[in-house]
Amino acid sequence: MTSLERHNLRLGLLFVSPWILGFLVFTLYPVAASIFFSFCDYDVLSAPVWVGGMNYRDMLTDQVFWKSLYNTLFFSVLALPLGLILALLLAILLNQPVRCRGAFRAIFFLPSLVPMVAGAMVWLWILNGKLGLLNQFLATLGMQHPPQWLSDPIWTKPSLVLMGLWGVGNTVVIYLASLQDVPQSLYEAAEIDGASAWTRLRHVTLPMISPVIYFNLIMGIIGTLQTFASAYVMFNGGGPNRSALFYAVYLYQNAFEFRQMGYACAMAWLLFLLILGLTWLATRLTQKHVFYST
Amino acid sequence: MKSLRLVLLVLACLFCGAGCGQRVDERTPDGRVIVSYWEKWTGFELDAMQGVVDDFNRSQPRIEVRLLPVSPIDVKIMLATAGGNPPDLAGLWSFSVPDFAEKGALTPISSALRRTGITREQFIPLFWDLCGYRGFQWAVPVAPASLALHYNRALFREAGLDPDKPPQSIAELEALNEKLTLVDVTRTGQVMRLAYCQLTPEERQARKFALVRVGHLPQEPGSFLDLMGAWFGGSLSDSKGRITADAPGNLAAFRWFRDTTQKYGVENLRNFGASGGGLASAQNPFLCGRVAMELQGVWMHNFIEKYAPDLDWGVAPFPAADPVAGKDTTLVESDVLVIPRGARHAEEAFEFMAYLCRRGPAEKLAVGQHKFTALRDVSPDFYARHPNPHIREFVRLANSPQARAVPRLSIWREYQEELRVAAGNALWLVTPPEVALAQVQQRVAWRWERAQARWDRVAEKREKEWQQRDLP
Amino acid sequence: MKTSAATKFTAYVLLLVGAVFFVLPLLWMFSTALKPVEQTMSLPPQWLPRAYEIERDGRRVEVRRSDTQILTPSLLARAENGAAFAVPVCEVTMARASNASPRAERPGRLDSLSPPISSEPSEAAFGRWRPSGSSGPGTAVTVLQAIPAAADKPWVLVYEGKGGTAFAVPVSGIHARIAPRWENFGGAIRAMRYFPRYLANTLLLCILNVIGAVTSSALAAYGFSRIDWRWRDRVFLVAMATMMIPFPVVMVPLYSLFRALGWIGTLKPLWVGSFCAGAFNVFLLRQFFRTIPQDLSEAARIDGCSEFRILWQIILPLCRPALVVVGLFTFLGTWNDFLGPLLYLTDQKDFTLALGLQCYQSQSGGTEWHYLMAASTLVIMPVIVLFLLAQRSFIEGISMTGLKG
Repeated sequence: MTSLERHNLRLGLLFVSPWILGFLVFTLYPVAASIFFSFCDYDVLSAPVWVGGMNYRDMLTDQVFWKSLYNTLFFSVLALPLGLILALLLAILLNQPVRCRGAFRAIFFLPSLVPMVAGAMVWLWILNGKLGLLNQFLATLGMQHPPQWLSDPIWTKPSLVLMGLWGVGNTVVIYLASLQDVPQSLYEAAEIDGASAWTRLRHVTLPMISPVIYFNLIMGIIGTLQTFASAYVMFNGGGPNRSALFYAVYLYQNAFEFRQMGYACAMAWLLFLLILGLTWLATRLTQKHVFYST
Repeated sequence: MKSLRLVLLVLACLFCGAGCGQRVDERTPDGRVIVSYWEKWTGFELDAMQGVVDDFNRSQPRIEVRLLPVSPIDVKIMLATAGGNPPDLAGLWSFSVPDFAEKGALTPISSALRRTGITREQFIPLFWDLCGYRGFQWAVPVAPASLALHYNRALFREAGLDPDKPPQSIAELEALNEKLTLVDVTRTGQVMRLAYCQLTPEERQARKFALVRVGHLPQEPGSFLDLMGAWFGGSLSDSKGRITADAPGNLAAFRWFRDTTQKYGVENLRNFGASGGGLASAQNPFLCGRVAMELQGVWMHNFIEKYAPDLDWGVAPFPAADPVAGKDTTLVESDVLVIPRGARHAEEAFEFMAYLCRRGPAEKLAVGQHKFTALRDVSPDFYARHPNPHIREFVRLANSPQARAVPRLSIWREYQEELRVAAGNALWLVTPPEVALAQVQQRVAWRWERAQARWDRVAEKREKEWQQRDLP
Repeated sequence: MKTSAATKFTAYVLLLVGAVFFVLPLLWMFSTALKPVEQTMSLPPQWLPRAYEIERDGRRVEVRRSDTQILTPSLLARAENGAAFAVPVCEVTMARASNASPRAERPGRLDSLSPPISSEPSEAAFGRWRPSGSSGPGTAVTVLQAIPAAADKPWVLVYEGKGGTAFAVPVSGIHARIAPRWENFGGAIRAMRYFPRYLANTLLLCILNVIGAVTSSALAAYGFSRIDWRWRDRVFLVAMATMMIPFPVVMVPLYSLFRALGWIGTLKPLWVGSFCAGAFNVFLLRQFFRTIPQDLSEAARIDGCSEFRILWQIILPLCRPALVVVGLFTFLGTWNDFLGPLLYLTDQKDFTLALGLQCYQSQSGGTEWHYLMAASTLVIMPVIVLFLLAQRSFIEGISMTGLKG
């Protein structure tokens, strides 16, 4: 290494030292400890006791574990595509030259600023089976027996999806920013070639913002699989027949309410592997469609 | 660079300010030891305890107890104890004692109790036993409670029933139910309000009515669904400590839930329940007269007084399936005071606990919270000055031979969670009662096995620890 | 690009419909915050909080359902359908009478009036009030205005004060006026007990976290983008990979770590981490730094500037929008963070707003919706204001960081 390289190396490490420190203390150590704990029986009051693969075996035979996994995946499969499409749609609409764009943008972004707890409470009230706004509205449309959002096991997850859709504001803003970066020249060229609005959308807009779509997809996978606050606040204890018991909530219950920290760590590791797997899958499937402009 | 220095200075100040965090007060300015006391209560219950705390602080110059409401208390106590800075006193429930004691989170007080002359004979035996586990005493009971049937006498009269004759068995309860339940049903194009017993068999079968008022529903209030087996002769664990979730009595209770829902129809019940309010609100179905009979605890009186002062109500033992063998069945529990492990001022904390075992302070607390005391003796005027006109019945039930408590298991929390889910499923016809209880049995037995293995591993060490840490 | 009028029109319509759905819950929250608690649960739901009054001897007097409860439209609707019932009247300026009796809420009849009813009452009459269907003796009332003999006109029997004097008023004589209960905000703050402390704690945490995040991410991003050093890109890849680690994986060991350090129960676990450059913020700023030409740095280096000075005096001023984005995201994240405080804080006095709000919900057994919504509104207000002020920089910042990968 030349002396310049050494100098740069020292300087570089100095600048990223806060990150390195954080990485070692707040990431590497906990990750390693978490693997260790997942093979132990650990309630935080006494020292961990090695038990080998007991936690993992228990996990695989635990019906509630599978149920929570199912609930979370069901929720993600519903919420992620719907959220991405809705956000994109809103962003495209907001990109049109309409008046009061700023006001609309603010309105759509506002709900994502609301703390999950406050939002959950408002929605608890809106989704009330008899007195809630939503069912009152559905009744005026003529629906005789609107779904009991909070007490019917079939409808608890869709109600959480609905609540999640309410908060797509920050995704909208990210899409909007990327839409505004698409060069006008491309649109004009397409128009000259006689492309309709739909064709322009499919062949100009979408490819140009595909990196952002990909980014949001990955972030969405990571986010929805970790959903905690909304499920915890709205359905304390998992809701009717544990239909709203999400993976992260069950993990929290095991860690802090049942004091089975080892089991919780085993669950956490499985979640990590799941996220890695899905991210890899998503990358493979969308690779052909993501187009990076230099 | 000047601005940089300024920024660094501000940062440094913030660091110091924020990092200081907890400055733990050890003593008051006049030299009293501060005992921190975390409680789960809010509202009038907290105020009642605050009154007793103030009396204690005034009665001696060495200790000052500071009361703080905390929620959720059991999770917080466990985390604080694990984190090494627990409060000196904590208010838990009697059913949390086995779990916390077994995990080594509490300080045993057997010797201290002996030293101050507090013995089992002074208490209603069940409550004393609830505070013991594996040979040591861990807590003192401060606010006991028992459950009883609360019923609306005015509604009884309206339905033509004798308000002085509450139901004596489950079968009778269901019979009264049919008379007390009012529904809106459409007959020949007109909406009529009838009692359930006036419906024709076809109308009952069709279930096309709207519930206006019910006699009794298991889900109102629904806080005790997991424990209803007691009134059907079932128990959740046997004398050898085995889990018996699928005992016939428990199954009978779950079948009763299912039958009630099938009778009235899931949709109707959902609609009825959706517009109810919580316990402490004017929309509480019992307080508004929408529910005529409820299984509730001794605390109910205060909510009645606050939100429905003109309610004409009565109290009776909740009927059991077998009126003879199950006579005067009730479930008791108690709020208890414990000293977490690692409390800094354990001796001073115990002094307050001893204070609460005396008749005067205990009765003051009981009157303030509208409950009774765990002490066997009561003052001559306790019943007279007690605001709850039916308090005698609750005390009588707590003393009855059929009074029971929840199983004394360290995994009670998980057990209860499983039972609640299963009860909900049976009630709302999601799973058949047999399947639901079989699942509970299987899962809880598995957890219990693990818990016992865990205990066997640490038993010796733990018991030695307890001997050492027993508060003198 | 020209857009047709039809496209514009559909865009407007869709946007309006969307905006209505998005803003409705917030409006509902605000409206519920201003209602008295009885009207929060009325069926059908009402949007505007009301107070009910009658004219009596030239004064306006408030009619309530009882001393502790307000009248609701559904109760009045029942009266209109022919159910007469009694409500107490409380004068707005009078001290409240307690335990006024009789108090009948069910439909009933007034009879045995003496002297008998005439449609033009000029003197008080005495009678008995009996709930319909009951055969008991009923309760004695003094009637100051008579009820028409045929009870086909909806009337409401109202009575006043402790003495139990009663008079009847046609339902149409009860006027509703819109009365927002601003005192709910004060009540919510009092009911939440430590609201000012929650606010102070949350603000403190937000400020600390913003300072920590901005400074450490700027430093780290500079190191990852403006200095060329060995292994730089590989280390950066590792940093990106850490974004995929879900919080639950590190949750338990972090808790043990903080416990060993003695930080459980203090605010430290909630802000120390932000001084260690989170991967997402580093990524954001790095993207931004990369867009600035290297020539600027080279020129400064030739002039003898230290790297730190280059960062401070050249790069950062150019990156203000990106810094605003990092700061804003961090502020929002801390303001709304719920899981962190739930895990690490024990003393209620140390709680943040988000946690305090959730505590409040689980504590009061019967939810006082009006207070809850008022508290939620108070928690949301500052972030809304902040966003509206910083909107422009925020949008600019996001667009210029070019999350294009």
